[in-house]
Amino acid sequence: MDQNRGSWYLLTGLILGLAMGLIYTWVISPIKEVDTHPHLLREDYKDIYRALISRAYQANNNLPRAEARLELIGDEEPSLALAAQAQRYLAEGGDNEAAKVLANLSAALQSAAITAATPVPQSEEGSQKTPGEGTPSSSTPEEDQEEPAGNTPSPESEAPPAPTPSPTNSPPFILQDSSPICDPTLGESLIQIIATNGEGDGVPGVALEISLGPDLKEVFYTGLKPELGLGYADFLAEPGLTYTLKVPESGLEVPDIEMPTCVTDSEDSYWGSWEVYITHPN
Amino acid sequence: MSRWTLFFLVILLGLGLGLVYGWVINPVSYQDTTLNNLRIDYKTDYTLMVAEVYHQDNDLAWALNRLTLLEDPSPKTSVDNALRFASQADYTLPDMFLLRDLYNAIEGSE
Repeated sequence: MDQNRGSWYLLTGLILGLAMGLIYTWVISPIKEVDTHPHLLREDYKDIYRALISRAYQANNNLPRAEARLELIGDEEPSLALAAQAQRYLAEGGDNEAAKVLANLSAALQSAAITAATPVPQSEEGSQKTPGEGTPSSSTPEEDQEEPAGNTPSPESEAPPAPTPSPTNSPPFILQDSSPICDPTLGESLIQIIATNGEGDGVPGVALEISLGPDLKEVFYTGLKPELGLGYADFLAEPGLTYTLKVPESGLEVPDIEMPTCVTDSEDSYWGSWEVYITHPN
Repeated sequence: MSRWTLFFLVILLGLGLGLVYGWVINPVSYQDTTLNNLRIDYKTDYTLMVAEVYHQDNDLAWALNRLTLLEDPSPKTSVDNALRFASQADYTLPDMFLLRDLYNAIEGSE
């Protein structure tokens, strides 16, 4: 009978040993992860990291440095990730100031991308530095493994900082247009706000307040949906109610906003939206 | 060699192979680490960001709150570590000043 068992006991022993080894290394004593990279951070820590990068950008106005830092987190579209986080903060009734700071950096990145895509006259090109040039961690996260993020050049040695959108330093906004619109493609009733400057460029980071009678409903900012324009913001309105839009920093008030009743070509009725254009002369 | 001896030797062999596989070839992969696990250069850059904001806002309570997230023994230790690394890694003087400024502020508040 013993001979019938052959060498199976050896295989059993090997499997037993392997199982014990794997349980020990994967469960009981896994490798303690130290010296990790920001892109491995848990999502809530990534939020903290992004928020800190945005605040640091607000403090130093150094866009290349902010871009290099955002690269470390590994978001595919850093500007969208920032905007999404800002929207999340606002939706959760969180820190409005933090949302605004995130939105400002998101808008600055979008502006820089647009500027970079615009052809530059030959005479100016030589004097400009590309974003990320000479920045601490302008390398990719992978490259950064070899080179610490430590060699941080002084802000003075870098490209001129991109202007931070700062509505408080701008002239007050004036109402350009406020009117109902019928657009069946929207699919919902929105109060859409488009803030532009004198040149017609979108202005991000403009604080807006929507109120219903004396009750403040929501505070939000332009630029949180950069894919729809830097100066764009919207609010999901309830048909049948009368809203008031305020631009507190400009003392501007747009009352009596009501969703219109619209009719399609096939005579079906639906609730429309409302568009508000505000601008400030430069 | 008896069957039992051979059996235990094979178990030891399997254990060794399991340890090599679990620790070297295919270790547990962490995707959700904390700020405390960051490499020293990233921790230093994090601390530098806090210093940049502090330099602008002078809000020491906020700065301490952010530094606490690094889970070092104290915020002062975090800035001290950052200063040490920054001097080794040849950070620029303005950045060193920012870190030093934050360090002094924390020390002054104690």
